[in-house]
Amino acid sequence: MQHCLPRYLSIIGFFWACSGGLTAAAQGNGPGVRGARAAGLSNASVALAGEVWSMGNNVAGIGEIKQPSVGFYGENRYFSSALNVGALTVALPLGRQPNTGTPTDGMAAPQVVAPAARTWARHGVVAFEAQRFGGVLYNETRVGAGYGYRFGQISLGARVDMLQVSIEGLGSRRVLLGTLGGQIEVLPNRLTFGASLYNLSQTRLASYQDERVPTVLKAGLAYRPGSQVLLVVETEKDVERAANFKAGLEYRPVPVLAARLGLASLTEQASAGIGLATGSFQLDYAAAFQQALGFSHHLSISKSWGGKQ
Amino acid sequence: MRNGLAGLVAGSALLLSHSLKAQDYVRRAPDLDRLTQELFAEIQSDQVPYEDLYETLLQYYQTPINLNTATREELRGLLLLNENQITTLLKHRQENGDLLSVYELQSIEGYDLRTINRILPFVTVQSSNANRSRGTLWQRIAREDNNALFLRYERVLQQRQGYTPPTIYQGQPTTRYLGSPDKMLIRYRVSHTKDFSLGFSLEKDAGEQFIWNPKNGQFGADYVSAHFVLQERGRLKTLALGDYQLQFGQGLLLSSGLGVGKGAETITTLRRSSLGVRAYSSLLENTFFRGGAATVQVAPTVQATAFVSHKNVDANLQQSQDSLAQFDEFTSGLLYTGFHRTASELANRHQLQETIGGGNATYTSRDGNLAIGATGVFTHYGTALLKRPEPYNRFEFSGKENLALSLNYSYVYRNFLLFGETARSSGGGLGTVNGLLASLGPQVDAALLVRHYDADFHTLYGNAFSENTRNINETGVYLGLKVRPIAQWEISAYYDQFRFPWLRYRASSPTDGHDALVRVAYSPTKTSLLYVQARQRLKPRDLATADLVNIAANRVLPLPGEQLRQSLLVYYNTDVSTALSLRTRMQTSRLRDDTNLAWRSGYALAQDVSYQLNRSLKLTARYSLFDADDYDTRQYVYEQDVLLAVSIPALYGQGTRVYGIAEIRLNRSMTLWLRYAETRYRHQGTIGSGLETIQGSLRNEVKAQLRVKF
Repeated sequence: MQHCLPRYLSIIGFFWACSGGLTAAAQGNGPGVRGARAAGLSNASVALAGEVWSMGNNVAGIGEIKQPSVGFYGENRYFSSALNVGALTVALPLGRQPNTGTPTDGMAAPQVVAPAARTWARHGVVAFEAQRFGGVLYNETRVGAGYGYRFGQISLGARVDMLQVSIEGLGSRRVLLGTLGGQIEVLPNRLTFGASLYNLSQTRLASYQDERVPTVLKAGLAYRPGSQVLLVVETEKDVERAANFKAGLEYRPVPVLAARLGLASLTEQASAGIGLATGSFQLDYAAAFQQALGFSHHLSISKSWGGKQ
Repeated sequence: MRNGLAGLVAGSALLLSHSLKAQDYVRRAPDLDRLTQELFAEIQSDQVPYEDLYETLLQYYQTPINLNTATREELRGLLLLNENQITTLLKHRQENGDLLSVYELQSIEGYDLRTINRILPFVTVQSSNANRSRGTLWQRIAREDNNALFLRYERVLQQRQGYTPPTIYQGQPTTRYLGSPDKMLIRYRVSHTKDFSLGFSLEKDAGEQFIWNPKNGQFGADYVSAHFVLQERGRLKTLALGDYQLQFGQGLLLSSGLGVGKGAETITTLRRSSLGVRAYSSLLENTFFRGGAATVQVAPTVQATAFVSHKNVDANLQQSQDSLAQFDEFTSGLLYTGFHRTASELANRHQLQETIGGGNATYTSRDGNLAIGATGVFTHYGTALLKRPEPYNRFEFSGKENLALSLNYSYVYRNFLLFGETARSSGGGLGTVNGLLASLGPQVDAALLVRHYDADFHTLYGNAFSENTRNINETGVYLGLKVRPIAQWEISAYYDQFRFPWLRYRASSPTDGHDALVRVAYSPTKTSLLYVQARQRLKPRDLATADLVNIAANRVLPLPGEQLRQSLLVYYNTDVSTALSLRTRMQTSRLRDDTNLAWRSGYALAQDVSYQLNRSLKLTARYSLFDADDYDTRQYVYEQDVLLAVSIPALYGQGTRVYGIAEIRLNRSMTLWLRYAETRYRHQGTIGSGLETIQGSLRNEVKAQLRVKF
């Protein structure tokens, strides 16, 4: 079977090449997708905040988390077990909040509160994440810690990852990565701008062909024309790849239920998803379709504690 | 906008017969030019029957919809209202009784001034629609003020190759046009909404002859069409005799008129309306049925339609050389140009008998929210069809008979509108189109449409939503969005992804592509509009042999090239005063046949001025420049024309295009239009090709039209 391996790897390589956009992905060591909500919006998630998945989408967004939360995320692409992703994320606000906010998670429809009256965790929010992509022959494992802080209209965040890439028969490589994120609420409850830079040090993975972990810059807007609708647009540029444009729509007819659609230009991938938010639980599912490669599935569940403080 | 609609009255109605209706508001002439441009993203082919669209809009204008009696389906047919607006209007009617005047629209939820301004030309408010109270049918026809006789004359002033004396080539005289270069048209129509329509058209194209030869079905003019339609005679809803059109469901089997596809109007045009039987009075020589059709109210909620049509269509008949062949005599396809100018075009004229029969039954719930319909269409050709034996024709229709059956549905639930149609044709090919329109709030509308047409699905008169010109060999998903973030601004966008599972003409492998558009419109005042529109379309196409040789080195298979077209359109329209309006249009596009081939580009810039001198004279002129590398990057620029005519020339090469129109009201019943247009080319010794060739670098056309009202 030894001689089949290169072919097998080249097939996986083909998958990476084809699916580089929706996720600039966990494949190719990119920032990846976190949470089926982001997946349903074709990962146009850099301007989203306040949910545990902001840890991977834009670390500045965790600054809005008010309760300790934990989330699990699973992803399967094109029905291949070699392309599975699993991630576990925990977010902990530091310091008590002065007011007793109702439990919010990023999913709930935004309450129209004067921005001055809204408060955030006094000492910011810290989050930890463990993530794994791949199968036996090739896999990437990362553990990361992030910190987000919000003051007034602005949130800032940073995270550090330890990334390990392992290839069967070739051994593994470990590197450290740094990520920075920022968000500005341009119009309170209506328009948010977000930007995130993954791997700012352009860490090198191997000297052979100067292989580096991708450096990816994302910038985008989240716009809420009304209480039920969220529109997101985002552009993502990997230094070595063509620019990707992503757009998504989230519609929440009732606070409990959300429906989502998304598009990504580079991969020509369309996605759709649904979400349930019940009290402290949040459950999301998304499916994405690529003409040549077929369907991928995303599922995430998260829970937060301590609604009333 | 403090003055509300009152300012609208200032707009003087040009085409208006001053009928004293039960309303105090003078309808403005619709800006059809602007509307057409809004409904079509950007004109990229001459395949779309703009004539029909234009005609339909004009029809609405001349016989506006009565907001007090219009059904949900009729309001959708306007293409200008979203489902929420229709629902609130119907609710308003239910709760408060009939509208008293159009001013009342402002009080209905969801009707912003822009919407009201857009629909005003096409609607009226009248107390009731009792035809009988207006005398007998003949009296009503005689008294109708919406009647008009049009006489039109058109000619290109330069001599074209086809009109020169024939030369001798290899002992044979060369082909020439048999008729004169004049194009002439006579057309009469009288109609009243939900009552009657009566009319005829006679047309001779340039190069065609006037011949009286009843044996060949030639009665003077080359194209003759007439119709008589009666509506609302008790249980008989519609009776059409002569030429008519049909549209049911999503137009998968029967579609006419408003087959607006992807456009800058990203939401409302997705869904086709079940318009049923309509009179036909356009000039396209083969998009109609000829015979009879009737719609009957079988039960309060059920309408049934039956139709039959028989006509001879143009086709090239061939004899099979092989005694074992499938058909002794066959035709490789119908000819749709409608031109009969040369001996060979005349030989193909009306060679193929086409008999069509079918019907439709539609159930509409009492509240109008649910409609379910079934349609059947049976076609019989006198001679078998057999397309050329090319790989891309592998699954095309062949034989003499085709039976297509379909089911369609449409359902409104709160702010969602679901609709669709699924059909099966002889041989088992399936076609389905399903969509969802959602008003997600006062500022946001979204749309989703999924379609799939088998490669062996044969709909011969259908024109449902598709990327291809016909509903065959295609799978696709369309997402549309419209956002009004703040007053006066509107952002529309769509993304359409499609796949062609079998080969197409000029695409010798299964291919897929996408089409995306973003449009930002700003209307600072009610008479000015500025919009910017960007579009990108990826649609693979076979490469030219020369290109293939160049890149064959890094290509395993001679796959079609990834043809990418990007275009940008900037449009500004403003009325400086009630008399003077200005319009600027800049459009540019670039095209690349494959990822590593060079871009080719086209550009056009046009400035229009329109000035109403006094009540009886209006002058319109355009000066435009164009510069396009080749035919593939040609620019289609919509031009104003005499009433009822549509002009969308394809401009390529380098040069200028200029036209002027004078609209003169001679008296109360007569209006005269004069139009002069010229195209000047740089660096070109000849214009056009084949029999249309003109020596020199100038082409100019004159057109005159007289309208007489009785």
